[in-house]
Amino acid sequence: MTRTIDPNTTMAELLSEYPGAQRALFRNYHIGGCASCGFSPNETLASVCARNDDLPVEDVIATILAGHEADQKMGISPVQVAERLNAGESVRLIDVRSREEWDSVHIDGSTFFTEELMRAMMSDWPKEAEVVFVCHHGVRSLDAAAFFAGHGFQNVRSMNGGIDAWSLEVDPELLRYHLE
Amino acid sequence: MSPVNDFGDRIAEAIKHPKNLGEMAGADAVGTVGSEDCGDMLRMWVKFKEVDGKRVIDKATFQTFGCGTAIAVASVATELISGKTVEEALTMSSEDLSAPLGALPPLKIHCAQLVEEALRSALAPGGEPKAEKNVAPTLLQRMQSPAREKKKIILGPSNE
Repeated sequence: MTRTIDPNTTMAELLSEYPGAQRALFRNYHIGGCASCGFSPNETLASVCARNDDLPVEDVIATILAGHEADQKMGISPVQVAERLNAGESVRLIDVRSREEWDSVHIDGSTFFTEELMRAMMSDWPKEAEVVFVCHHGVRSLDAAAFFAGHGFQNVRSMNGGIDAWSLEVDPELLRYHLE
Repeated sequence: MSPVNDFGDRIAEAIKHPKNLGEMAGADAVGTVGSEDCGDMLRMWVKFKEVDGKRVIDKATFQTFGCGTAIAVASVATELISGKTVEEALTMSSEDLSAPLGALPPLKIHCAQLVEEALRSALAPGGEPKAEKNVAPTLLQRMQSPAREKKKIILGPSNE
């Protein structure tokens, strides 16, 4: 059976059923990225489409349904990241975890994400820069990659499994941790 | 539809070299829209001066951590309102405030509206408040949220 989404579903219901929908919406239509393009959880998908240049709802639904595949394409394994770094490729590894997590453990050569860095990326970095975002388990880094993809960055990736997977698959000496 | 990364040169230039960016010490008025807690907001500072017995805007600055187009619009808007009275500035629509950038792509018009709201918040703080917008967590908030969460870091894997 072909999956579909009711245009009258609320955005809260949509995000509950399709967690990647917000990434898909921002990557493709610049919706839901920041305060200026945000949406209300009570709005319906149809109304969000209507007030955004009357986007065809069916096209948007197809984009959301394809979002999971698009998310997967943005992923890169820790082993692949390590291979590229070891080969001297100009991949920039950006860590979007909290300062406390960064201070506890981080990957050598990675950069801590700050608002100043974000502004520099938006204004100075070439849109074709190769960037890999990393977080604890690879979820927030996927949001970060989608946010920058939505701003025109063409080669942004998210490290699958985050720094935890890096500890397991690349560098066992890098301490794992959990949050309580 | 055209891809969202097809920014006009004027918008890209304004984003690259924003005017009046940053907090203003000694401002006479401040307006904020968006959520201050998560940094996903736009804030505007305004300073006045007297010219020929009229109180006019001497300078306006802004700070935002949101969308690049909001930066571009705020940059040109802060230049446009310089020298205007409060009444004159309040007559300006989001289209007026973003006019130097040319027509914004339809999906970016809300960025100009955000700037207009911040300006109104600064210039007419006693005015009729707009209804609080109920906005779902944005991608920017989601990726920045760990910085606001105070959780204890326990070295070693979880027992779950």
